[in-house]
Amino acid sequence: MGAVHRPGQGGMIRRLLNRIAVSVIVLAGVLLIGFLMLQVIPADPAVAIAGAQGTEAEIEAIRRHLGLDQPVMVQFFLYIQRVLSGDMGHSVINNASVSTELIRAAGPTLELMLAAMIWAVPTGLGLGIYAALRRGGVIDRVVMAVSVMGVSIPVFWVGLLMIQFAARTRAFPVQGRGGAIWTLSGLDHIILPATALGLILVGPIARMTRTTLSDAMHADHVRTARAKGASEARVIVHHALRTALLPIITLLGLQIGTLMGGAVVTETIFSWPGVGRLAVGSIIAGDYPMAQGAIIFLASAFVLVNILVDLVNELVDPRIGARA
Amino acid sequence: MTHLRLFMGATRKAGLAGAAVLALATAAAAQGTVTIGRKSDADRYDPQRSSALAAAEVLYMMGDTLVTLSYDLKTVEPALADSWELSEDGLTYTFHLKSGVTYCDGKPFTAKDVVGSMERWLTPDGPYVSAWKAGSVDSITAPDDLTVVYKLKTPNSGLLFQMAQFNFIIIDPDQAKELGDDFGVTAFNGTGPFCFDSWTPNQSVVLKKHDGYDWGTPALGNTGPAQVDEVVWKIIPEDATLVASLQAGEIDATYSLPAWAFAQFDADPSVQMIQPQAAFRTHYVGMKVTRPFMEDIRVREAVSHAIDQGAIADAIFFGTVEPTNSYYSEDALDYDPATDTSPYVFDPDKTRALLQEAGFTMGDDGFWQKDGATLTLTYYGFNTSREQAEAIQGDLRKAGIDLNVELYDSTAIWAKLREQTYDLYQMDYPYLNAGDALNLYFSSASIPSPNRMMWDDPKTDELLAAGNSAVNDKARAEAFMALGKHLHDSILWKPLLLQKPTVAIGPRLQAFQPAGISGAAFGTGLQLALK
Repeated sequence: MGAVHRPGQGGMIRRLLNRIAVSVIVLAGVLLIGFLMLQVIPADPAVAIAGAQGTEAEIEAIRRHLGLDQPVMVQFFLYIQRVLSGDMGHSVINNASVSTELIRAAGPTLELMLAAMIWAVPTGLGLGIYAALRRGGVIDRVVMAVSVMGVSIPVFWVGLLMIQFAARTRAFPVQGRGGAIWTLSGLDHIILPATALGLILVGPIARMTRTTLSDAMHADHVRTARAKGASEARVIVHHALRTALLPIITLLGLQIGTLMGGAVVTETIFSWPGVGRLAVGSIIAGDYPMAQGAIIFLASAFVLVNILVDLVNELVDPRIGARA
Repeated sequence: MTHLRLFMGATRKAGLAGAAVLALATAAAAQGTVTIGRKSDADRYDPQRSSALAAAEVLYMMGDTLVTLSYDLKTVEPALADSWELSEDGLTYTFHLKSGVTYCDGKPFTAKDVVGSMERWLTPDGPYVSAWKAGSVDSITAPDDLTVVYKLKTPNSGLLFQMAQFNFIIIDPDQAKELGDDFGVTAFNGTGPFCFDSWTPNQSVVLKKHDGYDWGTPALGNTGPAQVDEVVWKIIPEDATLVASLQAGEIDATYSLPAWAFAQFDADPSVQMIQPQAAFRTHYVGMKVTRPFMEDIRVREAVSHAIDQGAIADAIFFGTVEPTNSYYSEDALDYDPATDTSPYVFDPDKTRALLQEAGFTMGDDGFWQKDGATLTLTYYGFNTSREQAEAIQGDLRKAGIDLNVELYDSTAIWAKLREQTYDLYQMDYPYLNAGDALNLYFSSASIPSPNRMMWDDPKTDELLAAGNSAVNDKARAEAFMALGKHLHDSILWKPLLLQKPTVAIGPRLQAFQPAGISGAAFGTGLQLALK
């Protein structure tokens, strides 16, 4: 970075605070819309609990017990009050604490997303770089075809194929989490879901890397570097790739959202105990507080990642801050 | 159909194996963990606050009922109660409890716990479910530690049968009071062959063997203790993953298998398929008799003749269920074999004749019309039964009846059904016997829910009352048989299929005789044994 960039630093902090303020407003919106959307769903937890044979009186009693007999706005007000005091409430289905369940589920989701990125990001980058350097060649075409396929094939399909394969060969466990990722059983269990989830990333990263790197290879400063006699490897890594990396980081940030969406599917298919599965399960069960908690969690994670991406972008290329 | 024969064979074999298990039960030195896979979790493991099958299957392992049923579901057998007497007027039951029964935490079980359990369940305005099963209770008292006196205001011929259901599992009332909303969530202290160890919602329930348990009976599986150290119930929501988990040996058994997997496992010698001797679940299409077209019994019969339940059984369930022409199983207690089920036979020609007789003419668009209105019906179903809905829609359209299908999620449909904007709805329901089946859905007191046909009929109410208040088996059977016939004549449902749970067991587990009560095929888990 060095002294040259120092004038931008104060502005950066100001912009960051600004971003955080906007994010808070976004999250408040998510809170309200999420709450209202759950109210619109015709699922009624009281009716679901009472079951097919439930009588009207029983349903009313359960509804009273859960506080669902209050008007929606009163429920929302009480809910906001609780959330602001740090209490996300309790499940209306099994009385579990929403925060406890979220914390329990966050670890496995983070673990799964990281495991997916650990293999998918280098693979995507590698394929993209290779394709850019051999542009127009056979391998370039193959890489691009495969990455289009990677984008078009749904995660659940890949996941199910993997499960079929694993069940026949017994190569990997097909469901559940075996423990922490550094244990043998934990590693064994995460390989299939992480592979399925990572496939979402490989295609877009490869394509983006190919495009930006190809452009960068023809940029003036790269030509200059080459003219000054830098080795080809140095030209690619230090000059071209450095410029090309920026849009890739932005893309990666945006893909985190897709990755979280993919995690919901992957977690359901592989019975992975994460936030995505928690969200799906609680929406199906009509468990409003739990579903709401999971939605807020996923939205916050998304907003946070976006702030981080901006931050990294500024660090890599201070011109962005200057432009803003 | 080949599948069905196969299953029956397997069931018979399983029966023998079950008997062998019984003989060896006490001798076998138990060890190991049995993992059971299933698709969904319960809301909580509180027999008085859950109506879910997923709760029943775990609760039967953790707790005991006063009585249980024989494997054919026709005879009441002792469980926590060794014996009982019923007073002449049919109002007072006196239960004599087994001695030496203890809870998982070592606390002795007494008649006071029965009273405490029942008092909690019957609390007015409490968030409890299915309390109607207890009858019109006058008082429940414990004159001594081993006697319970259960007094009713009106006789209830179905009470003892209901008492075998999981809602009657005796809880630890002190613990329930202490834990409040966390009861059955963070802990459950019961008298069953297994003890609650941990529950991670939507993931797994872990149960540990109850060491002192020796009060089982043959009808429960064996006298105890359990033959395995641990039972783990795992949630695997995705069908394909569940199937693969069994193939891969990650679970030892399941009965949530999708029908398409049955054929695959039929050919696999390492997986056995077993069914309970009796277990009753009927799939049907309900008809709402207060809707313009459906008021006419001829239209209802026409609809009934247009639907081919045999094709649904073969094509959608791969022959793993039986097509049926009656509202409840012919094997159920108090079913009258003389019931006329001819209106329920698939016969599209009769549909045509009946609609013509009712004044309909065939329109240019291929649908029947009357007074300028097309015979269009609205159908509500579960989104999990999409294929059945499609088959029914196809059958009805072929017969000239237009069907608007609306499918809902299993949590949303109950609220939609209360809006009452449907002509037909499709559902399946479990029951113990004719009385149980008839009581729930046809009484005018149950309008609008669960009497979703809006069937308001004095003769039905009279016969129901007669059956319910009967003080002996003969009078009860007579009334319920007459009622069954009357309801079949009235054409309120189109019966589709009879389904029994099919348990698929992997190579580690011994075959056993599945239980039929409440559909919880693993029963108390006393029969579970590793090879």
